[in-house]
Amino acid sequence: MAKAVFVLGGAQTDFARNWSKEGKHFVAMMREATLGALAATSIEPHEVETAHVGNFAAELYAKQGHVGAFFVEIDPAFSGMPTSRHEAACASGSIALLAASAEIEAGRYDLACVCGVEQMKTVDSTTGGDYLGTAAWYEREAKGIEFPFPKLFGRLGDEYDKRYGLKDEHLAHISAVNYSNAKRNPNAQTRNWFMSETRAQKESKFNNVIGGRIKVSDCSQVTDGSVAVFLASEKFATEWAKRNGKSISDIPRILGWGHHTAPLEFDAKVAESREDEYVLPHTREAILDAFKRAGISGVEALSGIETHDCFTTSEYMAIDHFGLTKPGESWKAVEGGVIEMGGKCPINPSGGLIGAGHPVGATGVRQMLDLHRQITGTAGDYQVEDAKQMAMLNIGGSGTTSCVFVVGK
Amino acid sequence: MADNNKVVILGANGTMGAGAACVFAGAGFHVTMLARDMSKAKEGLSDTQADARAEAIAERIDLGTYDQQLEKSIAGASFIFESLAEDLALKRRFFELVDKYRSPDSVVATGSSGLSIAEMARGRSESFRQHFLGVHLFNPPHVIVGTEVIPHDDTNRAVLKGVTAMLTKRLGRKVIVTRDRPAFVGNRVGFKVLNETAQLAAEHGVAFMDYLIGPHTGRAMAPLATIDLVGWDVHKAIVDNVYANCEDEARECFKMPAYMEKGLAAGCLGDKTPAHGGFYRKDGNEVFAIDPKTGRHEPLKKPAPIEFVERMKSLNRVGKYSEAMRVLAETKDADAELCRRVVLGYISYGLSRVGEVAESPADVDTIMSYGFNWAPPCVLVDLIGAKTTINLMKRLKLSVPKSIEQAASNGGKMFSGGLLEYGRTLVG
Repeated sequence: MAKAVFVLGGAQTDFARNWSKEGKHFVAMMREATLGALAATSIEPHEVETAHVGNFAAELYAKQGHVGAFFVEIDPAFSGMPTSRHEAACASGSIALLAASAEIEAGRYDLACVCGVEQMKTVDSTTGGDYLGTAAWYEREAKGIEFPFPKLFGRLGDEYDKRYGLKDEHLAHISAVNYSNAKRNPNAQTRNWFMSETRAQKESKFNNVIGGRIKVSDCSQVTDGSVAVFLASEKFATEWAKRNGKSISDIPRILGWGHHTAPLEFDAKVAESREDEYVLPHTREAILDAFKRAGISGVEALSGIETHDCFTTSEYMAIDHFGLTKPGESWKAVEGGVIEMGGKCPINPSGGLIGAGHPVGATGVRQMLDLHRQITGTAGDYQVEDAKQMAMLNIGGSGTTSCVFVVGK
Repeated sequence: MADNNKVVILGANGTMGAGAACVFAGAGFHVTMLARDMSKAKEGLSDTQADARAEAIAERIDLGTYDQQLEKSIAGASFIFESLAEDLALKRRFFELVDKYRSPDSVVATGSSGLSIAEMARGRSESFRQHFLGVHLFNPPHVIVGTEVIPHDDTNRAVLKGVTAMLTKRLGRKVIVTRDRPAFVGNRVGFKVLNETAQLAAEHGVAFMDYLIGPHTGRAMAPLATIDLVGWDVHKAIVDNVYANCEDEARECFKMPAYMEKGLAAGCLGDKTPAHGGFYRKDGNEVFAIDPKTGRHEPLKKPAPIEFVERMKSLNRVGKYSEAMRVLAETKDADAELCRRVVLGYISYGLSRVGEVAESPADVDTIMSYGFNWAPPCVLVDLIGAKTTINLMKRLKLSVPKSIEQAASNGGKMFSGGLLEYGRTLVG
């Protein structure tokens, strides 16, 4: 049996910041998140043995590759440390988490830092939209198309509509819930933005259609951000807990994980799932794998979920894929208040990607940090009451890479 | 505070009034925006919608005029926010009406950026005085969350507590409570630095001073460009008020430079008068800067790079903020000394206001960070080192605040927060 992987905590930058306006390189972002994480966890730099960086496209946004090596720039004690960079579009952060946890499970290292980072505000929105198109099959699905991703996720909504029926008012409600949750998150990008269900439902000057059925209010926004968390072996976690006056039983651990990759092209995914009751069956399988590894029977064992809501349609998909409703009936959970704070299974207490922000390569790490905050009761104003076990779903591309973690004590 | 959810804004067509409407309606209050006439009120709503980037915010907003809706809307409101021009007599006239119509448990707040709160309340009913205080928002209110709350002697403590809690919890503001002194804390400390830089520009030039005291010293925007954004008229009102009513160690720093007085008389108000400009004037793609010696705008000449400034910028760019501040502390030349005079002067003046207008160093930090987007004074002390800061202050003949002496003697940090809370203020 694999060795246990503990989550010791971490820190994130304020996702409302614009680091280009601050005249900063992305290494400044990594530095603030990682030094903040060290301070938050009382870990000394020399204790960190390995580092994994999640990043999608620094080559495009900052004309800089070899991003893993930038970890060494953060502190002189990191010089010589093994580092690597992981890329799987919006799931880059989760791939970095999987790599770090695999190293700990294998017994190679006892303490790993996972740092997600993306600086996206270096370019205008059209250019950024084109860069994001490289998360799809660029030549076939994105080249020459303005804002390809909203269009692809609009088609996910269309596919639901075709198979089961879909009302845009349910998507608007998902948006309003995420914005409302974000107001309680002091690091959320949109915490001071205005959103209401009426605004999300109506196309207007400030809420124009971006592609297909997707309006601005259905989208996560362009975000700069970095997040760092520490994963540890039982050996390090036990010693760390002791010196911080905690018991090892108080420290959250990764109970289970799932990781599946579907065909890149959206049409190929839809063709493959035509006979399936789930629109994205590989995402469903990643969820079931994580449940199985965690030894839980299903979603009823979870106190809440942080899911990938790059668009409202992806959260709509997550609802039935997690098993909160039968396939195609996500609207029932939306109407029944299941996904809201205080509901049976709150989704995105942080505000999710739509409310909290979506610095692409950092999102998976942010979700892991939020799971840690929830399980340790340190989520402040967005705390889910008595959170014991929670799951995260992080997706790369148009449902291509699906990564799921279940975290609990 | 009354249970109902209704806010009235007086002067709702102004920048701050429309911005306040965005903040209150965004937090779920029902807002009545009052102005002189309906077309002004509509202009205000249009600005509020632009601030919120949402036409739908109108669903939480009513419009009205002072003649038609004042009495009824004030009678039904739990919070009345005055955002009229900075004219004491005008404000007092409106407060007389508010006193007449308001419900006894409603709160009345002035958005004044520095006039006397006690003077505004003078002569009003006991209930009004108990429920009256200052709530100073910074421009633009929907972006800048720093907020000063200013009670006067008669403000009921429970009212003060309730308003502070509402602003913090419901509106997400970063709030400090200040004493009722001219310009309160933020503008007192901030405009000292801005005006001192403007004074120094008379000798050293506009572009040079903005480069020397630029964002690398811990601010989102260079000082003289900031005055252009604020407006020379507003700048004058603030510095004149402090100069006339405060006797402190830096009083002379509040004297409006003669070249600015002349420019103002000639219609240079800054960004709001593009034809006349302010420190800077744009003509198509060409930028001009005022020559303080002649009062004329000449083509902007970019100052020659200064090594220590470029090094600071490059260190801030990669997040090495303490190294950048060490460069400022240790560089031995006249330019660095001039830069230190302003930056150390800011720390000295800011932290010396504790006990006079601010309650604590942390309050000065909060308002400079969240009201001005400037590096908090305590952060700068921590980055430079308390002992080094004291030595530099003594050399520059600046008064050394007690809090820095304490930090130097106990070896502790002054700023209570972490890197993630101040990093944004140190610009590359």
